[in-house]
Order: sequence, then C-alpha cells, then structure tokens
Amino acid sequence: MKKSIILSMASAVALSFGALPAGAQECPIKIGGIAPLSAPGTVVGGEAMRDAMLIAEEDINAAGGVMGCEVDVVIADSEGLPEKAAAIMEKLITQDGVVAVGGGYHSSVGVASKDVADARGVPVVFAETWNDTITGDKQKYIFRIAPLSSWASSTIWQHSLLVPGIKKAAILTENTDYGIPASEETKKGLATGGVETVIFSVDIGTQDYAGIVERIKAEDPDIIIVLATGEAGYNFQQQAADAGIGSMDVPFHAGQVSLESKAYWENVPDGNMAFVQRIGVPENLFTEKAKNFAKVYKERTGKDGVESYAMEAYDSIAILAQAINEAGSTDGDAIVTALENISHEGTLGRIYFPYGTKKDPSEDGKGDEWWHQWPDPALTVIQYQADGQSSVDAPIVWPDAYKTGDPVYVNE
Amino acid sequence: MRGQVPYLLGLGLIGFFVAFPFVYSAGDYDYIMHILITAFFYAILAASWSMLAGYAGQFSFGHIGFMGVGAYTAALFSHYFWLSPVPTELCTEYQFGSTWLVIVNPIGVTSSTLTQDCLRQALTAWDGSVEVSRMPVWLGIILGSIMGGVFGFLIGVLVLRLRAAYLALFTLGFAEILKATISAEIEITRGQAGIELPALFEDGVTVFGHAFSKTDKLPPYFVMFGLLLLCLAILAWLAHSKFGLFVRALREDQDAAAALGVNTTRYKVLVFVITTMMAAAAGAVQGHYIGIITPNNLFLLQMSLVVAMAVIGGVENFVAAAIGAIMIQVVLEMLRNSFVIGGYEIDMTIWRLVFFGIILMLTLRFARNGLIAPMIDHFTRGHVAHETVAKRVATEAEGTE
Amino acid sequence: METPFIFWGAILWMILWGIIGSLVTRRRYLQHDLDTSNTVFVGAMLGAATGPVGLVPLWMKTPELTNRLIVIPAIGTVVLIAAAFAFADPQNNCVANGSFVASQITNGLIIGIIYGFMALGLTLIFSILGVVSFAHGEFYMIGGMLVYFITAVWFPGINPMIAILMACAVVFAMGAIFERMFLTPMYEGKIDRPVEYGILITFGLAFTLQYFVQATAGANPVKVRRYFDFPRIRLPSSDDPWLIKTSRGNMELFDTISISNPRFTAAITCVLVLGALLYFLHRTWTGKALRAVSQDRDAAAIAGINPDRMNMLAFALGGMIAALAGALLVQAFSWLPQVGAIPAMRSFVIVVLGGLGSLPGAFLGGILVGLVEAAGTGCIPDAQKAASYIPAYGMVVLTLTLLLRPTGLFGRRFASGTHGKF
Repeated sequence: MKKSIILSMASAVALSFGALPAGAQECPIKIGGIAPLSAPGTVVGGEAMRDAMLIAEEDINAAGGVMGCEVDVVIADSEGLPEKAAAIMEKLITQDGVVAVGGGYHSSVGVASKDVADARGVPVVFAETWNDTITGDKQKYIFRIAPLSSWASSTIWQHSLLVPGIKKAAILTENTDYGIPASEETKKGLATGGVETVIFSVDIGTQDYAGIVERIKAEDPDIIIVLATGEAGYNFQQQAADAGIGSMDVPFHAGQVSLESKAYWENVPDGNMAFVQRIGVPENLFTEKAKNFAKVYKERTGKDGVESYAMEAYDSIAILAQAINEAGSTDGDAIVTALENISHEGTLGRIYFPYGTKKDPSEDGKGDEWWHQWPDPALTVIQYQADGQSSVDAPIVWPDAYKTGDPVYVNE
Repeated sequence: MRGQVPYLLGLGLIGFFVAFPFVYSAGDYDYIMHILITAFFYAILAASWSMLAGYAGQFSFGHIGFMGVGAYTAALFSHYFWLSPVPTELCTEYQFGSTWLVIVNPIGVTSSTLTQDCLRQALTAWDGSVEVSRMPVWLGIILGSIMGGVFGFLIGVLVLRLRAAYLALFTLGFAEILKATISAEIEITRGQAGIELPALFEDGVTVFGHAFSKTDKLPPYFVMFGLLLLCLAILAWLAHSKFGLFVRALREDQDAAAALGVNTTRYKVLVFVITTMMAAAAGAVQGHYIGIITPNNLFLLQMSLVVAMAVIGGVENFVAAAIGAIMIQVVLEMLRNSFVIGGYEIDMTIWRLVFFGIILMLTLRFARNGLIAPMIDHFTRGHVAHETVAKRVATEAEGTE
Repeated sequence: METPFIFWGAILWMILWGIIGSLVTRRRYLQHDLDTSNTVFVGAMLGAATGPVGLVPLWMKTPELTNRLIVIPAIGTVVLIAAAFAFADPQNNCVANGSFVASQITNGLIIGIIYGFMALGLTLIFSILGVVSFAHGEFYMIGGMLVYFITAVWFPGINPMIAILMACAVVFAMGAIFERMFLTPMYEGKIDRPVEYGILITFGLAFTLQYFVQATAGANPVKVRRYFDFPRIRLPSSDDPWLIKTSRGNMELFDTISISNPRFTAAITCVLVLGALLYFLHRTWTGKALRAVSQDRDAAAIAGINPDRMNMLAFALGGMIAALAGALLVQAFSWLPQVGAIPAMRSFVIVVLGGLGSLPGAFLGGILVGLVEAAGTGCIPDAQKAASYIPAYGMVVLTLTLLLRPTGLFGRRFASGTHGKF
C-alpha cells in the first residue's frame, strides 16, 4: 500500500517534469533542423540543408531574433532512416527542448517522425519530404513547403511525354516511401500518353547495377527515369552510360541528387545531356531575399549555385521564426494558428498555407494531401548541356513559362 | 560472505533501476528514459547471445535476425488483423460469435491509402458509427516470441553439423536472406519504408490509480525492464541446472560430451530455441515501443553492436554481458551529445563509434573475459580454481532443486 | 511468369526428392559402413535430378561416390531447373533473347573474376591462420578510398598506377601491423577458442576502420576517373563493325555483348595479378613456405620455416588483395565508407562455395557466384523485385553449400572440428 502511494506520487512528479511544455519564455528559442548527415542518407543533400538552416539562424538573429530572443537552430542527423527519425524527433523535443522543427529530406524520415511531433504538439514545417501521406494524414501540427510527390511526378511524366517518338519508358526507383509511390504515379501519368512503363526497384545501398542495366537495355526504352535519392542515382547512371544507355544515348531523367553538380560530375563523368527536376524559379527570377541568401550560401560553401532544397531548408526555418513572432508565444497551438494565417516572403516566393483547420481541402474539391501544403512551388526541368556544367547554369527546358533554353533529345 | 557481494550488488542495481524513474526529474527525463529502454533491449540481446555464444559456443551471427522475426511477426499481426463488431464486406473476414476478424488487404507502399486499404474504406463509409479494435499487443508479442522460437528451432536443426566459422557464416546468411526478403516483399512488409506498430499501451494504461498516456515512458520502461529480469532469471536458472553443465560441455568438446551420453542434438537445438525466443520477444517489445520496424534494424552493424556489448561486458557471463550492454548504450548516447566539431553543432555520431571499436579490440586482446565479468568472478570465485567452482555451483544447484 | 505452377511444381518436386535422397543415401551408406562424406550431396542432387529413378539404383548398389557421380547429378539438377523455368516463362529475356543471355553471362563472368580474386585473399588468410577475416570488406573499401585520395586530393595528376601501388603498400602494412598486435596470442595457445577470437577481433577491426574512414573522409560518394580510355577500334570495318566496336568507356562485341571499360580493366588486371600470385606461391621460396605452412604447420617449422612470419605475410597479403580489388573497382562504382559490406558477404559465400582454404576453389567459386547473381537479377520475372533480392542470391548459395556439402568444391581438410587449433 505504502509502496503504491510513493509510486504514484513519484511518478506524478516525474511526469510533471517530463512532459513539461516549453511554456515560459526561455532564451534562446530553439528550433530543430532535421537533415541526413550520414549514410545511408543523402549526405550531399543533408549538408546543403544544414548549411542553409545555419545561415537562416544567423539571418534571423542579425534581424533581431524572435520575440527579443536569439534563435538557436539545433541540427539533428536523421541518417535517412525511418527508425532513427522517430528517435531524433523525440530527442529534439524532449532533450533539446525545441519549440518547432524544420528541415527534413527523406520522405521515410518525414512519415516516421511526424506522428511523434504531432503527439507532442510541436509544429513541423517539412522542407523536402515529398510523400503525399505526410500532409495527407491531416495532422494539426504538420506543414510542408516541398512539392507533393504526385505533383512532382506529374512534372516528370508531362515532360517525358514531350520526348519525340516515345513509346516505352524504364524507371529505376529506390524501394522507399518516396520511390515506390512516385514510380507508380509516373507510370500512371505516362500511360495517359500511351507510353508503356517498366519499373525496376532497388535497395538504396546497391552498388552493382550491371544486371539491371542489361535488363533495361533489353527493354529498349525511349526514356530512362531515375527516382533515387542517394548515391544509387549516381551509380546507376554511370553504369548505364558505361553500358551504352547513358544520358548521351537515351533521354535520361536523373535523380534529385544530380542537382549537386560537383559530386554529380565526379561520380557521373559521362552524365552530359541528363534532365533533372528542380524546384524553384531560375536565378534571373530570384526574389531579393533569394539573391541575398544565394550570395551568402555560395560564399560559405564554395559552391557555384544554390540547390532548391537548400532554399527550402532556409525557408522552413525562416517561416517558423516569423510564425513564432506573430504568435507571440512558443506554444505549439499558437504557432499553428500563426502558420495557418501566415504570408511569408521566402527565398522560394510568397509562402502560405490555404488549407488547414480553418478550411478543409475538400471544400475546394481537393485531396487530403493539400492540407497544410504550400501550393505554389515552381517545378522545372533542367538539362545539363555541357560537361562540368553547374546545375544553376544549366538551361531550364520545361515548362515554357520558365524556359531558358531548348532541350536536346539525344535519340533524335 | 565475500561470495554474497555480487548478489547484493545485483539487488542494489535492480533497486536502482526500479527507483530511477521516480527519483530522476531533470528536463530531459523522457530522453534518458528512452536511452534506458533501448539499453535494456540491447541487454536482453547481449545476455541471450552470450548464453548462445559464450556458454554453448554457438557463434551465431543471426541473433539480430531472430530479433527481426519477433518484431516483424508482431508488426504484421497488428497491421493486418483487426476486430470489428460489423462485417466490412470489403475485406477478407471471419465471424467469431458477435465479432468479426478482419484481415486487411496488403497494399504495400503507396500514396493513396484511403482508396486502397479495405478497412479504411469501410471506416470512411461508416463515418465513425462503428469502432474497430486492434488485436491485443501482448498477443502479438507472444506470437512474435513463438515465431522466433520456431525459426530458432529450424536454424538450430540445420546447423547441427556445422561448427565455428561455418556456423557463423551460415547464421549470417540467414540474417541477410531475411533482410533481403523483407525489403523486397514490399506489398506485405512495406520494405524499406518500414512497418508501423501501435504503442505498447495504445489507449494508455492505469497503474495504481495513475493514468499513463501512450507516450509516457514509464510503462514501456517497466515492461522492458521486467522482460530483461525475466530473461536473466531464466538464463540463471538454466546455467545453474544440469542444462548449463551440458551446454558448457558442448562448447568444450562436443564429441566427448556425446560420448559421455549427453544428448548433444537436443541441447544444441534447445539452447538455440530458448535464446532466439528471448531475442524475438525483445524485438517485438522494442518494435511496439519505437513504433516502427525497418529492414535496416537487421543490419550486420546492429549485430556487431550486440556482439561488442557482450564481449566488452564478458561473453561467458550473461549478467556481465547485460550490464555491459546497458553501460555501453548509455555511454554511447552520452558521447553523442557532448561533442562539438568545427563550430558546427552536430551530433557526435561517428567518432564515438571509432573509439568504441578500439575499446572492443583492446578488450578482446588484453581482457579476454570482458571488463565486467572478471569483477563478478573476483568475488564469487575468489582463488578457487575454475573447474572446482563450476562443480561446486552445479552441486549446489542440484541440491536446491 | 506465364505458368508459375509449372516452375514451382517442378521445384517442389525436386526439393522433396532431394531431401529424401540426402537422408536415405546417408543412412544407407552409414549402415553399410561406407564413406559418408559426399552422400548428402550426391543423394540430394540425384534425387532432385532423377527422382526415384536414380535413387533406387543408388540405394541398391551403393557405389563408390566418384567425382563423376558427384558432378553429373549436380549439372543435371541445374539443367532441370533451367528447363522448368524455360517452360514456365517462355517469353522471359533469359529464354527468348540470346544476346541478352550472352551479355548477362559476360557480365557475370567479369564481375565474378573480380570477386573471386578478392575472395582469394580471404581464403589465403584462412588457409594459413585459420581465421575468417571479417575485416576483408573494409580493406577493400580502404583500397578504393586511398586511390581516390591519392589521385584526387593529395597528389592530383599522379599516375593511377602509382596510386594503386601506394594503396596496396599502405594496406599491406596495416595488415601486418594488425596481425602483430592482435593476432599473435592465437598462436601461443593462450586462447581456448582461436577461431572465434579471430572472428571477433577482425570484426572489431572492421567496425573501427569503417567508422574511422567515415569520420575522416566523410560520407559523400566519391569516384575515380577511369584509368584509361579504350582506343577507337572498329573491326572488321568501320562501316559494319560487327566483330568489335569500342568507344572510350565501352566495348561492344558481336553487336550484342557490351563490356564496360572499368570492369574490363579490373578483370584483366585481376587475371594478371593472379598469374603473378600463382608464380609467387609455386616458384619462390617464400611462396612455397607459405603453402607448406598451410599444409602442415609443425612439419614446416621443422623444415626451418618460421610459421609466425608466414602468418604475418599471409594476413597482410590477403588484405592487400582485397585492397587491390577495391582500388580497381573505385573507377566503376561510387565509393562510400559502407561499400565494403556487400563484397565482404560475397567473399564469404565464395570461399565457402570453393572450400575454405582452397585457392582454386575461391577463383572458381567467384565466377560461379558472379553467374548466379547475373542469372538472379537477369531472369527473375518480376522487375520490381529482381534487384531488391541481389544480396540474397549469394546467401542462398552459401546456405545450400553449407547444408549439402560443407567442404565446398575443393575443400577437404577444414570441413569440421579441428581447424584453427594450432
């Protein structure tokens, strides 16, 4: 009997400390930033996002911080693994005491970590996680500024249908929450244009693609589409080129990771003429804020261009800072209300969330995935047209609204 | 008197871990609890592996695979089986009295669960008028353990003729095939995306009048700690019974043991079944606690972590292995936070593992019995020769049976 | 697959008779007090290939299990599986498309030669020290990493040949130092279970090396430019080069088989180095001493060979072979600190298939495993799964070998029990 009293008393004490929400104002205000910084995650992407988020931290503090406090961005390494995702989200919230979280690269990480944040009432703005279910589950605390996977896929297939004489497509996809749905959606889209599709899915750690390359070669596709995030994309593309079906032989949609031009040309020396999907408008249409960020970013990293996910990562932190300021509190619910009403001038353009608790997407006849989703990210397709070209200098070949150069179809 | 010291220390340690959640109250409470729960999980793996490898001499590298069998059995069970008071008329279902057992169709990884999952469709159609319930979590854990035992039995039978390096490679092969299958059969296992499990206490739990929500750490802490104590108790009982003697004989000289009339086949298979069941149970509980299981949890590096913990603790003493696992897990997590390099605030995730590897090698080279086992031995055995102690312990155990 | 039940029915039928065959044959030979070492394998294969037709005469006559009786049923089984597959799925590329099959076989052969070469290092270590080195994949990784750092970071513009030699030298030294520091207690009888000690200590080394490289070199994928470009060849004529046609990175034979430059270079180098290695082992004093130690340690010691020194040499040489394989493949694959795991697993498969400690077995095993993987990725009808199962193909070979013939293709002495006890 006595034991049970002690137990319940003690646990009550423990709980009151444990579940302590960050109610009172403590300086600095901490914001979490998730990025893959070790393999099997996409480290090149993760490091770019980390740098961008730390620049965001400096810019916010230089502008006076948030509610009179300095902002501290706490970077956490997701390793690109869903099982790590839940744990690091837990750690950011309970140990580091962050009041909101930005960043996020791999979809699987987003899917696995969003429930933890939602259960604890900590708002998250995902920067580069595309899987539709992340917003499709309509969770109160989950926002996204990356494009939807189904929508990004449509860029790829719409552009692919423009390839002259296209009859058959081959897709190489990673077998994750990003790759599988994206490949299915692309296949569906291509089918609307009467194009037949074969999908090959691989583990992200795969190194030797010789067998798969031969199979794809035997299918004799008119376009090859890669939907892989990590170095799998590099490995496959170069091995395909070695076997004579590279981007200089067949129209070739390279994976997202190919936007990192330096690593791309080192790992895929025969990667000229590849198409790559890119988020955001071309540099000549950059907003003032984007230009400033790009300048600092290039100085800091020594890169000759700024990747779209770096801009997304920057915006995810900046928009949270603005939301906390407007809410006047670090309380999760207040931040969510501020985010739902926000109009943020970001590097990617004006960011806002039209659907949420105040207006369900179904009222406009839209799917659940538009919940807390920024509807305006510009999706473009670039093409590398010279060896060693930077992804920023490469011409935008689709859509016509942003076009800066004409596509070259190598099979013509 | 001297011989009692380890037992007193052991009791003290148990007391410490029981009291810890009530005494500790810093702001990172949840995080520390998380580390400890994971530490207990590794302790179960390390202790059962040390029984298999250290006592019985069966150097299995598939232990993490059996952990995966338990976790995936529990995950698939809770993912696909539901109970409903009303038939969905969309899914495969069977009637039992007034409830229907609903088996959800496997849809794999997709972006449109709402239109493909038959149960979700039924729920949307009912619009909240019907409540379906999951299968009980404890049933999944038991099924997971049994499935782990079944796999352990099969592998145990298959490896009967194999020794040493061959056994290590065979079990490694088993774990790798399992991992590849899980990540390839996406429709059923959801592959690399991982399969989600409900929390241990999805609807919360009330103990001694105090209600805990599903995110509270206290209930899973005691579940995992209880499982660890149970496993250690079973191992201790086994080690001190005839079983322990025979199993040790297996390790020392299998042929001689067989010649002396020990049924080597039975004991070899039995030790596989018991230890793999423990690994599977730990996997199932951990899966429910973390909430997701992916094929990456079955990586060889995860196995190497378990092996390293057991070796540093002391591979021939399962208590030492368990304590080693807890200490190493805690230390590794502490190191993760305390380093800052190059001005960046990054988690110190890699260098700590380099040091860990070096410690592992040095331990193997210079302290073959591990770092913790000799301390225990120092008190229990004093200066009595090895065999004498083993015999004495055995006779004592027989006397008390 | 059009008619999967034909294939799976045939497979099940073969498995059934294989199990019956292995159990019955072993028991029969045991009862007759005959040599049972190959009974499981022959029984299983004969059962699978012929069913009761072949098993009954075997049971009646219990003939001596000669090599011919071992090889023929094994080939029969493979042919039968292939035939069942061909009937079940006649539209498959592996059945209907000849040039595809030729390409896959070429690919399998080439990569098999490289992996066989790498496994050679593992089996060399095992034959002398009795240790299965779990750090083999890490030596492979470090070989590639060093070549990258030497050619791209430390001494840009250096001849890749020199970089490869430097990488080999560094890994050789690493192997020698590790052996001196950590493996010596094994030989002095201080450890009651040396085999397990060897596995664990190399495991520790693998763990340390992998994370050390990750901590110092980072986790970005890197790659070395291909070492040389093919000269432009068009044969027999430049209008119709049906015999051979090359571009910088690719060679096409008979208009069907394409071979990528990096793999071709790597395989040719492996064959050349293998030749040099065989010369070393069979024609030089040190090489003969190495082989002598692997055959009989005590006798070698009496003959004036210092076994300890041979241990050091074998471990360093074995690690260096893995490093060379890595140094050759870093021009074909993107390189990360984790790349060692898969080739290491494959090396285990190969050495077990070839027979632990057998050098020709490792090479032949490498080619077989290369072909099995090519067949697996190439023939599995479901394109979504074929590639995801890549890591499993080799492991299935490993499992079957250990169940049916633990001694592998050529292994004899190390089948069970005493190996590793010095």
